[in-house]
Amino acid sequence: MTQSSNYYHDKITLRLVQFSVIWAVLAMTAGVYISAELVWPTIDFGQFWLSFGRLRPLHTNGVIFGFGVSALMATAFYSVQRTSHVPLFAPRLAWFCCYAWQLIVLLGGLSLLAGWNSSKEYAELEWPFDIAIAIVWVCFGIVFFGTIATRKIKPIYISNWFYGALIIVIAMLHIVNSLAMPVSIDKSYSLYAGAQDAVVQWWYGHNAVGFLLTGGFLGMIYYFLPKHAERPIWSYRLSVVAFWAFVYSYIWAGPHHLHYNSIPEWVQSLGMAMSVILLAPSWATMINGIMTVSTAWEKLRSDPALKFIVLSLAFYGLATFEGPMMSIRSVNVISHFTDWTIGHVHSGALGWNAMVTYGTFYFMIPRLVDRELYSVRLANIHFWLALAGTMLYVMAMWAAGVSQGLLWLSVDQIGELSFDFKDIMASMTPYYLLRLVAGLIFLGGTVLMAYNLYMTVRGRETARVTVPAVDPAYGVGA
Amino acid sequence: MNGLTIHRKIEEHTGLLIFGILIVSAIGGLVQLLPVLNQESLETATSNTRPYTAAQLTGRDIYIREGCSVCHSQQVRPLIAELERYGPYSRAGEFVYDRPFLWGSKRTGPDLHRLGGKYSDDWHRIHLLDPRAVVAESIMPAYPWLDKRSAKETGNITAKFIALRRLGHPYSDEDISGAEAELEGLTEMDALIAYLQVLGTGLSGEDEGAAL
Amino acid sequence: MSSKIDSYLLIRALYQPLNAFEQLSRVDPSPAGVMFRYSLWLVILPPLFSLIGASNFGWRLGAAEPLRMTLGSLLIVSAGYLLVLLFGLVSTAIISRWMATTYGANTSIGRHMALMTIVGAPLAFASVAHLFPDVFINVLVLIPTMIWSMYLLYKGIPIALEIPPERGMLMASSLVGWLLVAAVSLLGISMALWTMGFGPLLGV
Repeated sequence: MTQSSNYYHDKITLRLVQFSVIWAVLAMTAGVYISAELVWPTIDFGQFWLSFGRLRPLHTNGVIFGFGVSALMATAFYSVQRTSHVPLFAPRLAWFCCYAWQLIVLLGGLSLLAGWNSSKEYAELEWPFDIAIAIVWVCFGIVFFGTIATRKIKPIYISNWFYGALIIVIAMLHIVNSLAMPVSIDKSYSLYAGAQDAVVQWWYGHNAVGFLLTGGFLGMIYYFLPKHAERPIWSYRLSVVAFWAFVYSYIWAGPHHLHYNSIPEWVQSLGMAMSVILLAPSWATMINGIMTVSTAWEKLRSDPALKFIVLSLAFYGLATFEGPMMSIRSVNVISHFTDWTIGHVHSGALGWNAMVTYGTFYFMIPRLVDRELYSVRLANIHFWLALAGTMLYVMAMWAAGVSQGLLWLSVDQIGELSFDFKDIMASMTPYYLLRLVAGLIFLGGTVLMAYNLYMTVRGRETARVTVPAVDPAYGVGA
Repeated sequence: MNGLTIHRKIEEHTGLLIFGILIVSAIGGLVQLLPVLNQESLETATSNTRPYTAAQLTGRDIYIREGCSVCHSQQVRPLIAELERYGPYSRAGEFVYDRPFLWGSKRTGPDLHRLGGKYSDDWHRIHLLDPRAVVAESIMPAYPWLDKRSAKETGNITAKFIALRRLGHPYSDEDISGAEAELEGLTEMDALIAYLQVLGTGLSGEDEGAAL
Repeated sequence: MSSKIDSYLLIRALYQPLNAFEQLSRVDPSPAGVMFRYSLWLVILPPLFSLIGASNFGWRLGAAEPLRMTLGSLLIVSAGYLLVLLFGLVSTAIISRWMATTYGANTSIGRHMALMTIVGAPLAFASVAHLFPDVFINVLVLIPTMIWSMYLLYKGIPIALEIPPERGMLMASSLVGWLLVAAVSLLGISMALWTMGFGPLLGV
């Protein structure tokens, strides 16, 4: 295929990053607001669109699909060109993906406020959006794999395996889980009922976390970490083994969301066993990342970005350890249905996903516009805000979750319940208040970053980067 | 290393990589989902579980619309403390007409699966309009708009019944033609309360004996 | 190089931490010396406060009745607490020394012990909150202290272990990873023990 120009298409990356940052600020603000509603329940002022039950899916969808997926698309487009030594395949289709996706997030968010809700967690959008998502996703796949198919470098670089797995597996999960019988534009009924629906939904739900929030962001790590550290990946063999083990074992773990629920016992046990096994490939990747960067510490001097990426690996280690632990039935019996789950999700979402994305943005944006970051000092302040916010959040939810779990199940000597549900609920207010503060701190950091990146980009055009010549040893003809 | 030589093939061919990811990731899903989707006991209703009436179904769709399942689970686990707090544990056969399932993942408020019949309709009405009027500690939002909208505005109930019959719910022709009339004069509040009152009433004595 | 650290080091670490770390970088103390002269006394504080607080007032986990235990079981719980803290301190020092070779840091185990002791000192003193055994008061006092301790860890490693700040940052992050995992394991193990019937009565 002949390309009209020999420059990388980087404008689209910059645009996607801009959208991603906007969604991050908006969706996190929604998160802070609903955390305040748990402390002061009347601040929805009787308005249906401010009601907790409608804002909560807006928060999760906004963060995952607005902030997360836009960032993943941006970095996938950025890195796949550079690892393939060709400009994007079908750049117009890529632009279509970019804007169509933003439209889905915007209208989808509004539809959630209007009460269009399929109530399947992390798949709340109704069927018209499900179809639109599937179409955009296939286009994303065409651009991505088309670029790889036209590459000038013989091996497909490892970050692309992860982005590829993200695209393929999410497509599969999304289509199977969203199958439904439409009733009207805003309503449909799931093709599956009851217990079967539950197993399908958590097969989706767990692996949306697995392949989007873990796999996709690992693709980010595998490109930007070595790039940033100017070192090759520590162990190639480890990354090969970890990748396939990850793709194979993650998909089994969904039923640990349904321990002691009305689904067959063997499904629960299998889900638990595979969740524990999952620790191995998750940590292999973490070790690979930490060892890659450990010899390249000089790079940290000039660049706050690597700090975020390094710390994100620590939280990745925590979240991927905590998850398998919480999937063990004797721990899960206490942690299930409590705020510990919320804390666990946020140790991943704030500590891992957001931080690795922030690090990547701080790395990528100055290069995209060929200008120094506006303020390294602000970025360093952001780092400490992000760390403090995440720690406070996680600890507050640990304390809340453990108390809930224990108090709900507490019985006295004659086997009577020790506590009333509403008393336990009332005792959560202080933790919810702490969590609100944590969210505000984290959001504050994100706003600082938005300002910092805005000032860096302001008045600049995207720099034109020429596709470099290919080393004949690695070329397609070799 | 032989394995790595084979792997080199995969990482040099786009098609092989796509195919490999698809196969390897599909295995776990197939092994878990296929048996579950074909397990008849998961599709067999308990003795008192009936398809939802027009009012109950409308109420359930309001429950979904307002995101109630974000804070309330509908799944009593077989643990002593939960049996005591909520009632008999949940059986798969009670959910066969639930599309989608509403088991939830978080209990900010209490589990609701055995809610049916615990409180009067009036209690629910007051509670939904102003939760703190009946439970001082409550952090639940109020739903003042439910009282102002008619249950017919929630959606086309006839179309819903037809869609559900296509999915296998045993609605008769009379059920479908009479659905619209059943909602006559009801508010969304009435419909939601009708749903809350039927929650967890699908068990009879024989199920309880059999399942334990 | 001296093998002694002065007796006021711990106190100074509270209000002049950077100065204390610098002083630490000039000495090579023996691990046993650090243990018996400093660490042990600090590690004893939280279980002691907890014992006094819980036996007098009982733990308040929320708005409900305080949870009272017999002196016997309180002693067992406090002893367990002491052991966990000791294990945490020693294992962190050992892991930190193990990591030191990767990051080119000083490998004197005594210095790692002293460093972890200084980092943990604010937490030990803040555990005075255990005297008021209300979970929320404790969380309110201990979480900010913990963030302060993490700050000390990030600042202290490069100074006390004589490595460039950038490399120290990497090492500190790796250690934070270990500490988080250790904390959550502790949580998981206690939950599993509770489910199996040790600790408060649960209806499972």
